[in-house]
Amino acid sequence: MPAKTDIGPPYFKDFLPKVILDNYGKWDYHEIVKPGVLMHVGESGDKLWSVRVGGARLICTDRVREYCDIADEFCDGHFRFTSRHNVEFLVADEAKLEPLIKVLTDKGYPIGGTGNGITSIVHTQGWVHCHTPATDASGPVKAVMDELIDYFTGVKTLPAQLRIALACCLNMCGAVHCSDIAILGIHRKPPKPDVNKLPKVCEVPSTISSCPTYAIKPKKLEDGTKSIEINDERCMYCGNCYTMCPAMPLADPEADGIAIWVGGKVSNARSGPKFSKLAIPFLPNNPPRWPEVVDAIKNIVELYAADARKYERVGDWIERIGWETFFDKTGIPFTDMHIDDFDGGAPPPHIAFRTTAQFRF
Amino acid sequence: MATLNLGGKEVEIDEDGFIQDPEVWDEDVAIDLAATEGVDELGEDHWKLVHYLRDYYLKFGIAPMIRKLCKETGFDLKYVYEMFPSGPAKGACKVAGLPKPTGCV
Amino acid sequence: MAEESKTPLLDELEKGPWPSFVTDIKMAAKRKPETMDLLNQLELSYEEKIGHWKHGGIVGVMGYGGGVIGRYSDRPDLFPGVKDFHTLRVNMPTGWFYTTKALRTICDIWDKRGSGMTNFHGSTGDIILLGTDTDQLQPLFDDLSEAGFDLGGSGSDLRTPSACCGPARCEWACFDNLQMCYDMTMEYQMELHRPMWPYKFKFKFSGCPNDCVAAVARADMSFIGTWRDDIQVNDDEIAAYAEGGLDIQADVADNCPTKCISYDASSKKIKIDNSNCVRCMHCINVMPKALKPGKERGCTLMAGAKAPILMGARLSSVIVPFVPKEKLEPPYEWFKDFIDRLWEWWDENGKFRERFGELLDRVGMRVFLKAMDMEPIPQMIEAPRTNPFVFWWPEDVETSGKEAK
Repeated sequence: MPAKTDIGPPYFKDFLPKVILDNYGKWDYHEIVKPGVLMHVGESGDKLWSVRVGGARLICTDRVREYCDIADEFCDGHFRFTSRHNVEFLVADEAKLEPLIKVLTDKGYPIGGTGNGITSIVHTQGWVHCHTPATDASGPVKAVMDELIDYFTGVKTLPAQLRIALACCLNMCGAVHCSDIAILGIHRKPPKPDVNKLPKVCEVPSTISSCPTYAIKPKKLEDGTKSIEINDERCMYCGNCYTMCPAMPLADPEADGIAIWVGGKVSNARSGPKFSKLAIPFLPNNPPRWPEVVDAIKNIVELYAADARKYERVGDWIERIGWETFFDKTGIPFTDMHIDDFDGGAPPPHIAFRTTAQFRF
Repeated sequence: MATLNLGGKEVEIDEDGFIQDPEVWDEDVAIDLAATEGVDELGEDHWKLVHYLRDYYLKFGIAPMIRKLCKETGFDLKYVYEMFPSGPAKGACKVAGLPKPTGCV
Repeated sequence: MAEESKTPLLDELEKGPWPSFVTDIKMAAKRKPETMDLLNQLELSYEEKIGHWKHGGIVGVMGYGGGVIGRYSDRPDLFPGVKDFHTLRVNMPTGWFYTTKALRTICDIWDKRGSGMTNFHGSTGDIILLGTDTDQLQPLFDDLSEAGFDLGGSGSDLRTPSACCGPARCEWACFDNLQMCYDMTMEYQMELHRPMWPYKFKFKFSGCPNDCVAAVARADMSFIGTWRDDIQVNDDEIAAYAEGGLDIQADVADNCPTKCISYDASSKKIKIDNSNCVRCMHCINVMPKALKPGKERGCTLMAGAKAPILMGARLSSVIVPFVPKEKLEPPYEWFKDFIDRLWEWWDENGKFRERFGELLDRVGMRVFLKAMDMEPIPQMIEAPRTNPFVFWWPEDVETSGKEAK
């Protein structure tokens, strides 16, 4: 049957379990019973346990079906995903809680991601499916989480939540620009335009105007056709021109790699939302396990765990000790790349806007 | 690069069926391109839109923004989709022989 | 003897305790042999340190201008199984709650029509069905529609709105953000499916200032649940936390950003100067049994966030400090009027690929406020301007009319 258009998503209340429908908007409080297990208590006295499980974001239908089998057995056929790609099994019957945990553990699913630790890494597609990536996404994430899994399962804890995100290019899909630790794929060489093909497959004016630093200029070919040329010195490799025009490829196996950013956050708790700031300008792409990236992140996490005060997010901690101390303690070299000279270093015009929900009425 | 017989000539197209050289375009090419987008017959309003896109592209080197397109043709977006079910970018721009629209997805 | 693996690099990523995507691709490939080419192509990327997807691709379904991302391999000679490998964005149920029945239906459809690989979920929140042929797109959409699912946004349209779990499973939800997210998704189906604007526009609905969907960082229009009366305090539970070993002075009072909480250790009671509270959630996060948001609830409307492309990242900033809960319920007349006028202004003035926040920066907040007939208020800013370059409205500069000599 041909599709009906504009039917929208299914109504979410049709997918809620009974205990949630009964207590919708009437939850009283919650506790973290143990790592990965939340207990929400309704004003009615009803209880709901959520068992949080980490996983790869890139999963097959067999995996989804396995989640379904487990939810059918223990959760009356209901479960949910979190905004950070975790799975949450919802249990209304306390008698089913421990058997559920046992099944999940036996099948090798990590249970955790709650409270003061690390939860699943939000990430993009990378080499698996993106057309502008400077690195892979699923691979580095797997390698990092293999190393940091104790902070997910609660074997080790941190002063506060630590949110890690990965984006495979400067588009920064996902809240990578506001994460405690961000892993960012970067290019470091200007595009190599195919100037003859370009006028046929791209809009020349859009390609020129796509460059934020005016590095792309119009240039006529020998036959008079309008094309472009690049002032390589002005290029900061954002890739926006390639997004606009396929004849501007800029990926390069040796030049592409990963930058590490720190100190961003989204919530308003204690301090307001903050951007991530550059910590390490470049680490090489070293598949399959990106050891330089894993070591760099482990170093920052362990130092933060040892040095930050309770409830301090990474950004709060660095602001307290000072950036010079951060570079000193982590041993990360400070370079001229760390000094913001984009657009002459002028503050963006919205610097004075209230970018937090914290204010007085 | 694949080729397709459009309007009686062999024309280079990409995977998405966009012609690779805007200069080979003519109305016969447009009629055959329309068929690939589920449009069996190009009526008066179809041609008005196609020529508007074509002229705009030749004059400015770019495709117009949707708001401009609707304002200047007098067609609302719903009607554009009725004429070209795959939409102004994939449908109408392809038929008008413009380069493949790009941008963030 | 076992056949030698063609993906030795990726096989390394099956080791270690964290669940492996490589294992999942292999599982899918057992039933769908062509999906193995996804892994084989990725192995080549791991060897060569470069991606192997061609630029862009514009494919779709009839009636829509978005929802499908076109993808083609640049080595179809080596990996014919992923020659075309397009992605469908499917609008998730609000809050990401599922029944197993619905998910099994999606799995059945996807196994029939595509690679068997998915993302639960994409960055914006959609269900991502990763990889199918061009000629499967329309039948796939037809099957999904039959099962009650629709596509999400892509390109210069309203992107799929998303919300945290809200009142479904959180005591801190200050408005019914799930219902509003759903209702706005339904209201703006035309805008969601048919790109018409200078660039994308995102709605994200967080129930409280903890902002679990990162609305302030990512959404052009960010809804942050809040309240405007006093934090609700349960003295007995405060005492219970103290007796349970919580250091209320150090953990709660000393971490309050405005120091509006004082704690008396002898009586185990706290006092809050609510007029000075900025509703950051810290004390409530630490003592959820003892403290709750106030009763006069609603949301703070913030606007303008985006990721770095093109002129740098932006966070949303305060536009309307408080919208009462009653205005965040059907029929939402106030909000519909507000957003229609905002979109009209952006669409009329925005350049190609200019996000709403970038337009604000280019033409100035004052121009936006005037166009929207809104009064400037101090909650919109951190601090007044530090430079003297004021654009006075000429009509505001009253003079005697005499020409200067």
